[in-house]
Amino acid sequence: MSTRKLLLCAAAAAVLLGPLPAAQAGSLENLERERAMLMQAMLSAEMSAKERQGKVALSRNRLIDLERMVLRDKKLVGRNSPAVRAAYENYDLTFLVHASIERDRALLDHWMYQVGVSTQSLMNAKVGRR
Amino acid sequence: MRRLFPPIPPHPGPAAMAAVARPRRAALAGILTIAMALAAAGAARAAPDGGAGWAPASSERLIKLPASYLKKAVDRDYAKSGLAAAMAESENAVGLKHQTLQDLQAAMERADGELRVDLRHRFLAEKRAYLELVARGQTLRRKRARTRVKLYERLLAKLGYRRTAMTPQKVALVEKQQAALRRLDATSARVDTVFFRSSMGRESRYATAYAANLSAIERLVQAIGAHPMNDQASTDTAGLSKEDHLRGLIAAAEAELATLGQEASILGFMAKLVSLDAMALSEDVAGVEGDGEETTETGAGLTKAVDLFVTR
Repeated sequence: MSTRKLLLCAAAAAVLLGPLPAAQAGSLENLERERAMLMQAMLSAEMSAKERQGKVALSRNRLIDLERMVLRDKKLVGRNSPAVRAAYENYDLTFLVHASIERDRALLDHWMYQVGVSTQSLMNAKVGRR
Repeated sequence: MRRLFPPIPPHPGPAAMAAVARPRRAALAGILTIAMALAAAGAARAAPDGGAGWAPASSERLIKLPASYLKKAVDRDYAKSGLAAAMAESENAVGLKHQTLQDLQAAMERADGELRVDLRHRFLAEKRAYLELVARGQTLRRKRARTRVKLYERLLAKLGYRRTAMTPQKVALVEKQQAALRRLDATSARVDTVFFRSSMGRESRYATAYAANLSAIERLVQAIGAHPMNDQASTDTAGLSKEDHLRGLIAAAEAELATLGQEASILGFMAKLVSLDAMALSEDVAGVEGDGEETTETGAGLTKAVDLFVTR
């Protein structure tokens, strides 16, 4: 293939691929993603304690900003979509870091409490066969 | 059913058309000229305001404006319109004509004999011209008041639509969002104290920029609150909802329309006086003495010109 043909193909590819829109996530999507990463770090059994601590601190600091961004985002006010409705349905689960401080609980304790797992319920649990 | 247009005659054919082409063209040109003259006369009759217009749009921007600024925005839009220019021109012409009438009246009082009769005639003619000018001004004012009423009614309807567009589900969501924001405001200081004010970490770039912007916004809001024009705009609308304010504006425009109706009747009485004066003048010129009684009239809006009309 000659150089001229190669250049033409490259130009055609650039024209075709150029106007592809960049995927842009909203503040709520970013919050959900970061929260999922925090939960993964907290619950993962494959990490050392130090590694976990570092990841959780990083995600928690990011989440503080992201939670504030979502709550102050005027574009979300009154947007009646399933994602927004679900996010505001349970403040304590969506805005995990602020809610945990508000309730004076550690992050993981607060999350477990919100999903219905408490120290008491774990202590009362019995090992058995299903 | 009544026919609006005359029936179309049958086509005469090519030969007949060629024979009559030249005279028909001339006749057509004549008809067109007459039609244009009639149309121009009709347009002049149909638009006594000289085509001056004002067509404000009930835009979303107007709805979003605070109630106190709404009227100012509408007034500013009106000031830029052709109707405002025509109104200013009309008021100026009325003022000048009023001055002319006063001058003529003063001259008439000093004159006698044929000059007095001549001045009385001119006085009558000027009175008639004055009445025409005032009538034009009233037409323009009526147009302005009606446009205002229509605009405010459209805005009111749009506001109502926006209120009803909020479904119960959406209202509940907005309430939740407001409650969440209140919870955030209550805890954000504690979060900062726990995580950032300690030696463990420092505030993020977002938090720093947000605090700086918030401080700037607060300073601007304070400046807006302390601005004298803001005080002036908010004193008369304190405690009123936007709908209440709009209803007040509609009532004010309706009141102007009612006043205009009253002024139109004053104008009618003035016109009647001018015609009676004209009859008296013609009798005086013909040598017939009148009964010497002067018709007196009182009015509301045009009171300053009434003296000119009760004097012959």
